[in-house]
Amino acid sequence: MTSQLDWLWPSPSTLFRWCIVVALAVFAVTTPGFLSPTSLRSLLSTASLVGCVAVGMTFVTMSGNIMSFSLGASLSATTVVFVWLLPYGAAAAVTGALLFGAGINAVQGLVIGYFRANPIIVSMAAFALILGVFTMLTGGRGIYITTNDAEIFNTNFSFVPGPLMAFAACALVGQAILRFTRFGRQVFLLGSNPRAALAAGMEPWRTVTWAYALAGLFTTVTAVLIASRYGSGDLQHGTGFEYQAISAVLVGGTAIQGGNGSVLRTFIGTMLIAIFKAVLILRGFSIELQQLLIGVVVLLVIMLQWRAGDLK
Amino acid sequence: MSAFLKNRNARAFLLLAVIALALGILGGPQIFSGRTMFSILQQFAVLGPVALALGLTMVIRHFDLSVAGMLGLAGCIAVLCGAGNPLFGIALAVGFGAVFGALQGAIITTLRLSSIGVTLGGLLILNGLAYVITGNRELGYPRPDVAQFIDATLGDVLSFRALVAIAIFAVIGLVMSRTRLGRDIIASGSDPAAAAIAGVPVKSITILVMTFSGAAAALAGGLLSFSLTTASPTALADVLVPAAAAAIIGGVSLSGGRGHPIGIAGGVLVLCLLRSGLSALNVEPYVHGITVGFVLAMVGLLDSTDLERRLINLRRAFARPRPS
Repeated sequence: MTSQLDWLWPSPSTLFRWCIVVALAVFAVTTPGFLSPTSLRSLLSTASLVGCVAVGMTFVTMSGNIMSFSLGASLSATTVVFVWLLPYGAAAAVTGALLFGAGINAVQGLVIGYFRANPIIVSMAAFALILGVFTMLTGGRGIYITTNDAEIFNTNFSFVPGPLMAFAACALVGQAILRFTRFGRQVFLLGSNPRAALAAGMEPWRTVTWAYALAGLFTTVTAVLIASRYGSGDLQHGTGFEYQAISAVLVGGTAIQGGNGSVLRTFIGTMLIAIFKAVLILRGFSIELQQLLIGVVVLLVIMLQWRAGDLK
Repeated sequence: MSAFLKNRNARAFLLLAVIALALGILGGPQIFSGRTMFSILQQFAVLGPVALALGLTMVIRHFDLSVAGMLGLAGCIAVLCGAGNPLFGIALAVGFGAVFGALQGAIITTLRLSSIGVTLGGLLILNGLAYVITGNRELGYPRPDVAQFIDATLGDVLSFRALVAIAIFAVIGLVMSRTRLGRDIIASGSDPAAAAIAGVPVKSITILVMTFSGAAAALAGGLLSFSLTTASPTALADVLVPAAAAAIIGGVSLSGGRGHPIGIAGGVLVLCLLRSGLSALNVEPYVHGITVGFVLAMVGLLDSTDLERRLINLRRAFARPRPS
């Protein structure tokens, strides 16, 4: 366990990380146009949509289950469910979407936790099943919002974009759950040492199921925002979100094998990727090159975790 | 018979027989026409090498996510550099795949990192590279003669492309069954620490298998793009789920040390037969997705560590309710 004062005497890899953060900040602020309100707002809105999913992914990663391949598909399906339920009122639609998102992920968590099935296989199977079933239900076409019931999810708070408020709220709630609840401590224990968790008399499957349910809940926040933003529920909305989310989690410094990390780090990771992207755009790099460089950054950050790998 | 059922390699072929029977009942015997067989083997030519690549990394307790990116990028490389000489294009793609795989293997072994993390970075990099070298466009391949050559039927149902895939399976199958290298691969997957103590060069084997994984995925991707006469940088995860499903159905265990190319070939054939059979029955394509997801979930559940213990617990709980 790390002590509370650890940040005063950072390890070399932590130091290296902070150097990257500072270098990026300097680079960003000296980029012309970076601090313009329009550029900042669009940057923060887009990043926040990925961010909510990344907060959810943090719980999956932290509990020792690496990543969920089905969060993107779950996001897409939830936008459809949300739009279907919208005629019954915004409150009903949000409640239904939250229940649906939490439910389909909790089922995966239950299978993974109770039978100790492999998380990669289960989430890949869920990916194929969710997309298959929803293509059958929707005929593969997007469905559109015809009323203005969803407008309240599209509002901004003067300067602050709505998605950023949602992301900040998700990050705060997620961090509080992980840090201050019994469940959160169990996630830490399960991720860092599953055998010790068993020996301590814990029932890991409850924790894993809740971790996946939370991942679904936080993903639903993004689903509601995206559906309201684009005025539609569509199976394309969530494509690739699982990769962007796990990138944010890992760039933030959460260990891929679990047990070491926080939602706060995911928040920082999301912001770092967003700033990095914005700087690349403003300095005239192509969108294609951005994708490549983000991959390089993710690989470098993972390589920084080499100490943690000694356990294996 | 029970020995047959316990053989993990036989599982895929058992499933294959069941699916063939079901398709035969639903569609009549005419469903197994030469055309269906040809289409099954054409799909085998793409999915087979990728599933074998991913499956072998699973045998040594790793998981090479980057095969999905390699398939797309290798197609772009082969099309960009192979307009004059297709052999040069494919050689460049395979060489790049091997080098990239070896690099990932070296990072995994020297820094002792989880392969999922490293190959996730690799997947994003490969995908980004594909966008960069194509400029985010779909590339046409101006050599229809090459496409005709690799897809021309040899005999009734076999194309050159399918033959290449079958040859890869045959060679790797022999290596795994007959050579010391094959036994070393199994050993480093079953118990890496014990294998290292027993003198198995676990690190070199990891790098070797990752190298093979990159090269095999690149070969399949290059030939696929030649056959389609186009290459595009999209399709990030489209092949990952079926490849993992094929390997798992074929008896590969994610906890390592188990799996053989014959079983993986069976797993690939199961998926190809499902796709071709369902499309011959004129079923909507989503049915295939649902079926793959369902089969993957079932096999994943069957392979789960605590299944038997939990089922016994559940049975007890339902048979003798606790006195309140």
